[in-house]
Amino acid sequence: MTAEGNEHIYKPAMMRIAAMRDEAPQVRTLRLEFVDAADHEQFKKNYRTGMFGLYGVFGEGESTFCVASPETRKDYIECTFRETGRVTSTLANCDVGDMISFRGPYGNRFPLEDFEGKNIVFVAGGIALPPTRSVIWSCLDQRDKFKKITIVYGARTVADLVYKQELEEWSKRGDVELVQTVDPGGETPDWKYKIGFVPTVLEQTAPSSDNAVAVMCGPPIMIKFTLVSLNKLGFKPENVYTTLENRMKCGLGKCGRCNVGSVYVCKEGPVFTAAQIAKMPAGDM
Amino acid sequence: MAKILAKNKLNDVIAKLKSAGIDLFGPVRDDKHSWYGPVEEAGQLALDLILTDRTLKELFFPQTEPLLKFEIKKQQVDMQEMSPPNRQRVIFAVRPCDAAGIAIDDALFGWDYKDSYWFKRRNDSTIVSIACTAADEFCLCTSLKLSPDSTKGSDILLWPTKDGKGWRVEEITDKGKEFLGRINELLEDSEDQTAAVANVPVKFDLDKVVAWLAEPANFDSSFWREISRRCIGCGACTFLCPTCHCFDIQDEGNTYHGVRQKNWDSCSFAMFTMHTSGHNPRPTQMSRWRQRIMHKFNYYPGKFQANSCSGCGRCTRQCPVDMGIVETLREISKSV
Repeated sequence: MTAEGNEHIYKPAMMRIAAMRDEAPQVRTLRLEFVDAADHEQFKKNYRTGMFGLYGVFGEGESTFCVASPETRKDYIECTFRETGRVTSTLANCDVGDMISFRGPYGNRFPLEDFEGKNIVFVAGGIALPPTRSVIWSCLDQRDKFKKITIVYGARTVADLVYKQELEEWSKRGDVELVQTVDPGGETPDWKYKIGFVPTVLEQTAPSSDNAVAVMCGPPIMIKFTLVSLNKLGFKPENVYTTLENRMKCGLGKCGRCNVGSVYVCKEGPVFTAAQIAKMPAGDM
Repeated sequence: MAKILAKNKLNDVIAKLKSAGIDLFGPVRDDKHSWYGPVEEAGQLALDLILTDRTLKELFFPQTEPLLKFEIKKQQVDMQEMSPPNRQRVIFAVRPCDAAGIAIDDALFGWDYKDSYWFKRRNDSTIVSIACTAADEFCLCTSLKLSPDSTKGSDILLWPTKDGKGWRVEEITDKGKEFLGRINELLEDSEDQTAAVANVPVKFDLDKVVAWLAEPANFDSSFWREISRRCIGCGACTFLCPTCHCFDIQDEGNTYHGVRQKNWDSCSFAMFTMHTSGHNPRPTQMSRWRQRIMHKFNYYPGKFQANSCSGCGRCTRQCPVDMGIVETLREISKSV
C-alpha cells in the first residue's frame, strides 16, 4: 500500500467485520477493524475525509466506495453500501466476525482546514449521504472550528433515508440545522418533515452564502439541479464541493477507466469543486 | 570495423544464455498465429515476419496475472501474495515499435504507485531489437515520430547486414552491454555492410492531430460519430496494441479458495465504465472510440509527455471492420 518499494500495490489489508447496521431496504453499514496492527497504523497515518477504498469479498472481487467514517475516528472504517452487484450482494450476506479485504485509503480529500471559520451547508440525496456523513462528523467532532452547520438531506421515500439514528441525533443537537425531506409521494402518514425535491427544499431553507461553503453529494440529476439552486443562493462554484463516483478497479491511476476527460477521478478526485467540474467535458460524465 | 552477430551463431547464443540460467524469448508462430514466446532452438525464431500478430506487452503485462491466492476457513482467510517468476530473460528479435511500446508504458506503471509486477519483469529482461528492413502498408512508426530503427525501449539494436547472414550490433544500454559481454566471443569483426531500413511513409501530420484533439470544442464534434460508425466494440485493437494497458481486477474461485487476478480489459467494452446504478459515462461506441483516441494522443501525453502509440499498425491490420487509428488520425489531419 506504500507508494514506493517492492511491495505489491494491489495487496489489500485484512479487515474483520466488527458490527453491522441496516440503514434502509438493501442498504447496510459495516464497521470494519484492521486485523494487522501495521495496516491500521498505515491507515491512521494516511486517511483523510473524502478518501475512498476498495472493499473486497474473497472469491467475489472488489468494489469501490467511500470511507463513511470521519478522519476524527480512525479506530475503525465504516462503509455503507446498497446491495446491487456481485460484491455488494455477498457483502450483505457476511456476518460479524467475517474477514474481508480493503485497499486504500486512496484519492484526495475535503480541504477541512479551508472550511474553518465558515458556515457549512451540506446537501445530500439518498445513498449519497455516506460520503457527506464523513465530512459532517469530521466537522461535528471539532464543532468549535466551524460556524453554522446546515444539513439538507432528502430521499425518494421515508424508507430510503439512511442513517436514521444519526438524523435523530443531529436533529436533537442544538448546533446543527437539519432539514429532512422526501420526494412528493414518498411520505408516510406520520412524516413530520418536508415534502419536496432536495433543490426546492434547499432554496426554501435559503442558507446564506456569506462566508460559506457547500458540500453536496447525490445522484447526477440532483447534482444538476442543486447546482442551479446553490448558484441562485449566491454560492460561487469554487466554494461548492462534491465527489465524483466513477467505476474503478485499481484506485491507483493505472486501470484506465475512471477518467472524465483527462482527469483521473481516483488520483485527482474524488473530491472536486463545482468550478473544477465545469471545466470537464460534460459528455464524459 | 563493426561487431557482427551471425545468424548461424544463434544456437550458440541460446546455449550461452542457458548455461547462465537466462531464458530466451523471441517471435514464434504456429499455423495460425505469431507472438513473442520462449525459444529453445534458433529454428523456432520467426525472423522473416514483419511483425508478430500479438505484441511484446504480454511478456510484461500478461493477459491474466495472479495477484494473490486465498483459502477461506469459516471466519478465517489465509491470503498469500503471488509474484512473477524469478527468471532472467533475453527477448530477441523484437521490433522497434514493440520495444517503444514497453518504454511508453513504463511511465504509467511507474507513476506515483509503482506496479512491482511490471517492473520485476522489466528488470529481469533484456530487449534485443532488430531494425526493420521491410514494412507493410499498415506500419506507421514514422507518423508517430518514431522510426524502423528507433532505439526507444531497446537494450540492443541489431542492424541486418546486406548479405542477410547476420546483424551489426549496437549497444544502447548497460543491460545491453552486459548481454554483449556474455556473447562477446560469438561476435565477429567485419565491414559495416548493413541493409537499408524500411521506407515507412508518413501518413498524417501528428502535430495537427494533437492540436485538434486539444481543442475542447472538438470533443463534441460530429466527426466522432461519423468515424466510429463501423466500430463493433470487439476490443481487438486494444488487446493487440503494444501500449493499451487497461485492466480489471477479478476474483476467481469458490467458497473455500480462489485467486485474485489482474486481467486485460478494454475501453471498447460498454461494461468498462458502467456504474452499478446502470448509468454509463461512455454509453455509446462513439464515446468509447473517442476515449481511446483522446487517451492515446491527448490525456497520456498530457501526463507522461509521450503519445500512447508506437505505430505498429496492428489495430488497423487486424480490425475486423477495417477501422483503426490510422483512418481516424488521417481524417483529423486532413480536416485541419
